[in-house]
Amino acid sequence: MKYAFYPGCSVHSSTKEYADSAKAICNALDVELVEIPDWNCCGAIDAVYSYEPQYSLALAARNLALAEKMQTDIVVLCSSCYFSLARTNKLFHENAEVKAKITEALGTIGLSYSGGVKVRHLLEVLLTDVGLEKIKAKVKVPLNSYNVASYYGCLLVRPVDLAHFDDPDHPTRMDELVEALGAAKVEYYSKTKCCGASMAVTDEKVMLELSKRILLDAKNSGANCMITACPLCHFNLDAKQRDIESKFSLKIGLPILHFTQLIGLAFGIDNKKLGLNRNIVSPLKITPAAKEIVAK
Amino acid sequence: MQSENTPSCNEVKVVTEVAPQKGRLDFIKEVEKLPGGDKVLDCIQCGLCAGSCPTRFAMDYSPTQILKMINLGMREQVLSSSAIWECSSCHTCATRCPRGVEITTLMMSLKNLSLKENLAESETKPKFHKSFFEVINKYGRLSEAALLTKTMKKSDPKAIMHNASLGLRLARKGKMRLRPEKIEHTADLENMLKKTTGEKKQ
Repeated sequence: MKYAFYPGCSVHSSTKEYADSAKAICNALDVELVEIPDWNCCGAIDAVYSYEPQYSLALAARNLALAEKMQTDIVVLCSSCYFSLARTNKLFHENAEVKAKITEALGTIGLSYSGGVKVRHLLEVLLTDVGLEKIKAKVKVPLNSYNVASYYGCLLVRPVDLAHFDDPDHPTRMDELVEALGAAKVEYYSKTKCCGASMAVTDEKVMLELSKRILLDAKNSGANCMITACPLCHFNLDAKQRDIESKFSLKIGLPILHFTQLIGLAFGIDNKKLGLNRNIVSPLKITPAAKEIVAK
Repeated sequence: MQSENTPSCNEVKVVTEVAPQKGRLDFIKEVEKLPGGDKVLDCIQCGLCAGSCPTRFAMDYSPTQILKMINLGMREQVLSSSAIWECSSCHTCATRCPRGVEITTLMMSLKNLSLKENLAESETKPKFHKSFFEVINKYGRLSEAALLTKTMKKSDPKAIMHNASLGLRLARKGKMRLRPEKIEHTADLENMLKKTTGEKKQ
């Protein structure tokens, strides 16, 4: 299986371990990720669209056009990139005016897009194209001591016309993955609540409040770690966790793993390859099963 | 479960007793043309969006009230509200709306209109959008360091210290890339911008 890989900006800078672990597990599952040459920002619908809507769509479309040349579906790691690219793709198909604008903008840079690319999130590809059975067969170190809170956040399950691979309010497919890896799933209320997204920059107190609710809910429900499928959610829940602790005088200490890292741990992949040392709240100190792997 | 430390709602501003404003129909027509605005008059004021909104506690008006205010033609109040900027684009309201109003997309369009009209209530948020745009238009990819320094309040030493401590935390883990990553064909960006806006911005 071969896919046009769209890492996204955050994955290239602040969450490199997400891309590294994704590549490592894809390698183990015979999924080939070929990076789209010279990809650019996804168009960041929330940030750029509000400022310059047509330009934001053109940015997204440039990536779609570059991927179309590779004749495969796009695979993304970031829920926000997923949303921007998938939404632009949908508008291209449904809105003649948008299609004309995009075609015109791409024309000025010698590219064209005919609408033949599907935008997909790696989680969906692994669950749908690869399948749980194949993933299960690769498990070498069942994660018995892990109580995992699966965190979906927003754009992986909403809006429903774009994100349709799980239920918008009570998604369960990530939990199925958790169980396939030998870990226990944690039922909690906040799995699709917003982490505060870019408010980490624009209105920090709101983001800290939202992420705090999610972390406390997961912890109080018995989780000893959480998995995410988006670098921005990961940033707010992991890198900002210390700010949450100090603002609200709390001790949380909940390790946040990229879902690809959790799969990698179960596959027995070396934790350096999974970049576990780059997570801010260390998953090595707290989770016993991870400790055993370090000892190897 | 959320009993401790839950912030109280800002004082709810009442809009029900406002009479329809002058130019009401013009504003409704304007909103109906915006992405996400076509069904704005279908709102039945059920309040599901307000009840579902995770950032409602930080808003001056709830999403339900914003929809009512559009209906009443309160253009300036809508475009200068904090509500449109406190929307985190989580899409919960639009997913649940029984009338299919695309509230989240509409909020984005209202941000855009608010920026154009120079009515934004906050200083940081418009600056964030402008900085984001500038970084992307220069490099083609986002540099978190560049975005942060551009958006940060330069006059506020507390904010600088706060960001420096986060920066250090990230740098220690190799999570801070100081030199922005650039795409190869940066000229593409300028060309697409010219085509989509008809002029050179910045």
